Amino acid sequence: MKQKFLFIAVGLLTVGLVLSGAVPSVNAQPNFPKVKEYRIERSIPPEAVACIECHKAANPGIFDDWARSRHANAGITCLDCHLAQPGDTDVAKGHEKYYSRKDLPYGEQKYKVPIAAIVTPKDCSRCHPDEVIQYSKSKHANTIEIMWKLDSWLNKGMNSDNERKTGCFNCHGTVIKLDKNGTMDPATWPNVGVGRLNVDGSKGSCTSCHTRHRFSVAEARMPEACDQCHLGPDHPQIEIYNESKHGTMYHAYKDEYNFNAAPGTWTPGTDYRAPTCAACHMSGSGKVMGTHDVTERLSWETQAPLTVRPQDFKPFPSGTDWKVEREKMKNVCRACHGDSWINDFYDGFDKAVEDYNEVYFKPAKAKFDELYEKELLDKTKFFDERLEVEFYELWHHEGRRARMGVMMMAPDYAWWHGFYECKLRFVKFTEEANHLIETGEKAYVAKDFPNATGDTQKPPKIFGNK
Amino acid sequence: MKKYFILASLVLLGVIIAFPLFSMTYYTMVRTSTPDFCATCHEIKPAVVAWRSSTHVNNAQGFVADCMDCHLPAPYKTFDFFFAKTYHGAKDVVKHFLIKEYDLNKNREAAYDSFDNAQCQKCHRNLLTMPGKRGAMLAHRSVIYARPGYEKKCVDCHYDLVHNESVSIIYKQYRRLPYQAKGLRKL
Repeated sequence: MKQKFLFIAVGLLTVGLVLSGAVPSVNAQPNFPKVKEYRIERSIPPEAVACIECHKAANPGIFDDWARSRHANAGITCLDCHLAQPGDTDVAKGHEKYYSRKDLPYGEQKYKVPIAAIVTPKDCSRCHPDEVIQYSKSKHANTIEIMWKLDSWLNKGMNSDNERKTGCFNCHGTVIKLDKNGTMDPATWPNVGVGRLNVDGSKGSCTSCHTRHRFSVAEARMPEACDQCHLGPDHPQIEIYNESKHGTMYHAYKDEYNFNAAPGTWTPGTDYRAPTCAACHMSGSGKVMGTHDVTERLSWETQAPLTVRPQDFKPFPSGTDWKVEREKMKNVCRACHGDSWINDFYDGFDKAVEDYNEVYFKPAKAKFDELYEKELLDKTKFFDERLEVEFYELWHHEGRRARMGVMMMAPDYAWWHGFYECKLRFVKFTEEANHLIETGEKAYVAKDFPNATGDTQKPPKIFGNK
Repeated sequence: MKKYFILASLVLLGVIIAFPLFSMTYYTMVRTSTPDFCATCHEIKPAVVAWRSSTHVNNAQGFVADCMDCHLPAPYKTFDFFFAKTYHGAKDVVKHFLIKEYDLNKNREAAYDSFDNAQCQKCHRNLLTMPGKRGAMLAHRSVIYARPGYEKKCVDCHYDLVHNESVSIIYKQYRRLPYQAKGLRKL
């Protein structure tokens, strides 16, 4: 009897010990097999220590990322970016309750500070003003305005709000809305789109390319930073790059690349063998200064329906001179190419643009306008008649693939996915258009066009209350 | 001898005329250079009240930056100083009678435009060595050694600092959280 009792007691004790050992302490990073250490050995405000210690346990991924960043290296803590001023509209009121949670490390009122969840380019400009000034001029930052000035999906309400949030706006950016408690409206959040309109009025999100909470310059220099958005049937830049000689060399030699070179020192030939997206569009090279205006060095708008010079792009005139910008781009090329190579390449590009404009786009556009004029196509909506889709895909899909494929030297995209498809599309489109014009028959209108429920009001915060 | 007498009389006359003239000018300048004087205009009074509760008055150094320290050229630029002071004094009186309502935001923008970095840097001079504020060091470098085309003003990032709507007095030495610039104003 006594022995049995002893067994039970020992058994219970064992179970108890095991259980108590299995309960993780709140300070530990629960789901990380190897725990990142961070000893606070430098002067950091106690409120920032509270952020670090609490989020280290609550979001070990965020903490770990930050601890490996240049920011942690320089003693830039959570507060330097997330601190708000009392009374700011974006103060996360819901966050304040954690300062009275006794079960949390540092869950005390004395550490309470106003915190904004969303960090904006304006916040980044406190330390990186020049980069933000450049970025704010780019088409990246202003993409919501451009999109609403061009796009029929939005203006005619042809897709649903959630299709937009999860599709279009994921890259282009949402117009962030907060309720009075500083909680994000789920229709606009989460979002790190390059053109996101923040509540402080600044445009964009630096973490689109320098992802949280590592904020790495190396990451943004890799083509993988761009390929979340720059892919697919309508602008397959990453596929084009991967097919190009630049891309194939990058993939073959990227292990040798020095992505961590200090800003302004990333050197072709020394730090990298073939350029990445950032190398041509952003990085300094020779006498060309680096820029965060990713669209600065363009000399054609190859994404526009009719290819125009960037300064003549009506939805968002660049304010640049294409000749100056082309010269900048040529200077980037010169790091690795001779003049005849560069000039003759541009010759091919200019010819392709002219071909697209004159042979494909303008005649198709004239035909398209004629159909509307003769009321064979209905203007009320877009995409609900087959010819509208055909015309759209001619410029928005195949036409872009052709132009961009030529520009970034991917033969398959220039031809098979590009001009070849343009030809077929053009013939199909013209055949149907001519048929309607000859017979006077009106085009079939899809009455049952699905989920065309999206809001058609242009965002008032950008366009005013028009 | 007579010649010297005339000369001496002229100098004396000059002193008799100039001394009160200069004294009065100087007295006027001193009298009209205090925040209290600025606050005699009802348009300006709120700005003075806000300034009194700001860190430009309340700091551990006991230093006070008066209206003129920021809003007028440095007195060592004597001509600029006198000209700006006289011009603004005259303009403010005329405007007081001419305009119906004082547009605070418009005037705030005009004030930001008129600020010269040199005015701030009369006092804020050691801006590049801030080991505890690496971000500020980085930002200040981009202002003090600005790239051509990227010249910036101190007030582009540091604004709503003195004349803000804070309801309580801020003592710099008791600021619980580190002061941070707000980021570029025009974004």
